[in-house]
Amino acid sequence: MSQRYARNRHDRAPATVAAFQVRGRFLTALVLRIDRDSPDDAFYAQLDEQLRTTPQFFAGAPMVLDLANAPGLREGDRIGDLLAHLRNRELRVFGVQNAHGMDDAMLDRHGLIPVTTGRDAPLPRNAAAASGAAPAADVPPPVQNKVIHAPVRSGQRVVAEHGDLTIIGSVASGAELVASGNIHVYGTLRGRAMAGCHGDEGAHIFCQNLSAELVAIAGLYQTSETLDAAALQRCTHIYLKDEKLCMEVIA
Amino acid sequence: MTTEPKTNPPLGRVIVITSGKGGVGKTTSSAAISAALAKKGFRTVVIDFDVGLRNLDMTMGCERRVVFDFINVIQGDAKLKQALIKDKRVDTLSILPTSQTRDKDALTKEGVEKVLTELKADFDYIVCDSPAGIEHGAQMAMYFADEAVVVTNPEVSSVRDSDRVLGLLSSQTKRAETQGAEPIKAQVLITRYDQERVDRGEMMTVDDVLEILAVPLLGVVPESKAILKASNVGTPVTLDGPSAASQAYNDAVSRLTGTQVEMRIQGERRPGLFQRLFGRAS
Repeated sequence: MSQRYARNRHDRAPATVAAFQVRGRFLTALVLRIDRDSPDDAFYAQLDEQLRTTPQFFAGAPMVLDLANAPGLREGDRIGDLLAHLRNRELRVFGVQNAHGMDDAMLDRHGLIPVTTGRDAPLPRNAAAASGAAPAADVPPPVQNKVIHAPVRSGQRVVAEHGDLTIIGSVASGAELVASGNIHVYGTLRGRAMAGCHGDEGAHIFCQNLSAELVAIAGLYQTSETLDAAALQRCTHIYLKDEKLCMEVIA
Repeated sequence: MTTEPKTNPPLGRVIVITSGKGGVGKTTSSAAISAALAKKGFRTVVIDFDVGLRNLDMTMGCERRVVFDFINVIQGDAKLKQALIKDKRVDTLSILPTSQTRDKDALTKEGVEKVLTELKADFDYIVCDSPAGIEHGAQMAMYFADEAVVVTNPEVSSVRDSDRVLGLLSSQTKRAETQGAEPIKAQVLITRYDQERVDRGEMMTVDDVLEILAVPLLGVVPESKAILKASNVGTPVTLDGPSAASQAYNDAVSRLTGTQVEMRIQGERRPGLFQRLFGRAS
């Protein structure tokens, strides 16, 4: 691809400097997950309410539609009506995810790009490794719990890739705990704790003293500013319920 | 001879004075601790690892006597004996200054190890004054240490940086990398402690600091005018006149050498009644 462009450029104007530059760019977008197949007036009323309460949050932000819970919208041209409504509200919808089976030409017509999520497009695996470990792909890796009997210092990162993480000692601010399972801290948690890092919504975080910078379960997080004041500096159990982080003081 | 030099074989202990954050009193503490060690009769050398920002020689009052430096020795341009400066006040104390013109990349692991090995054959205590930060210079200063004194101010950012340094001490040093070696003995030295501000709730207490850092306390040095005064005239505070800070450093050094000393936290001497009555008017 780059060769083709290079040749074209040389053909036309051999002595000029490049008229463009190609760069990578990451961008953060809002994802709007549609939870019903046919958005009705109630849907738009809820949306308007949301827009009214947090207008700055949506102003000018690029947005992706998630159709995981609305397979009906993938059929035919039913998304067109929804798009018109959203764009009327000045929402900058540019992409759609979990859109398997949708017609590319139709998406093109609406100016939408299909955005792949992690689950849609598994990373290409090394061919050799795949042939050796092919049957293991569906079998979860063996659980390996980790116990650390020392304080976790600022700047340290402890990861339990496949299992629970237990810290006997405190976790300093600026330290990071990551586990695919639960996290237990027998000490003060001042740093960050991320349980269920592979998306396990049944993961829990336990700590003797909650003073965390950030706690997260399966990607849903709260920072020290939004932590439940009743749980601060208490022995706390953090879990996920109805896609909300709940904090329960247990002692 | 002002002190009786020990004749038994040298201890050869390497102590790094480090902190992460700058301006908390690493160099002041290095000077005070090494002078106090020497005064107790230990053969002591203090090395400046802050290549490019040479300060220790000024704090020790020997900046005019620097001919060769640490980097010259590492690069083989000078012999160690030529670079070592003997202190004029305490004859068991030597200073190994650093270069002001080079940068920290001039410190190589092999070079530092060679110099330290040579010093271990002659000295009881080798005090390494670490630069601020956690980059190459600081890592070289801590890599070969047997003990660490982590200097901390009772203030959140300093404590957090010290915590980071404690993490590095337990992972990025020779003792940490050697299987079966005893880990570095790290202790915290709290400096610039102001009891009045602690009482008013404006400063972290000693307990707060220790709760976060979870290492033994070596000493608490009060905020003191004696420190700046001593530093300006190029005298380690422990060799200057009596002061609360000097007392605190002497106690800390006693603990460092294994003597049990009761922890006492003193401020500057409280003004007397007359001073309080009349001091304000003047």
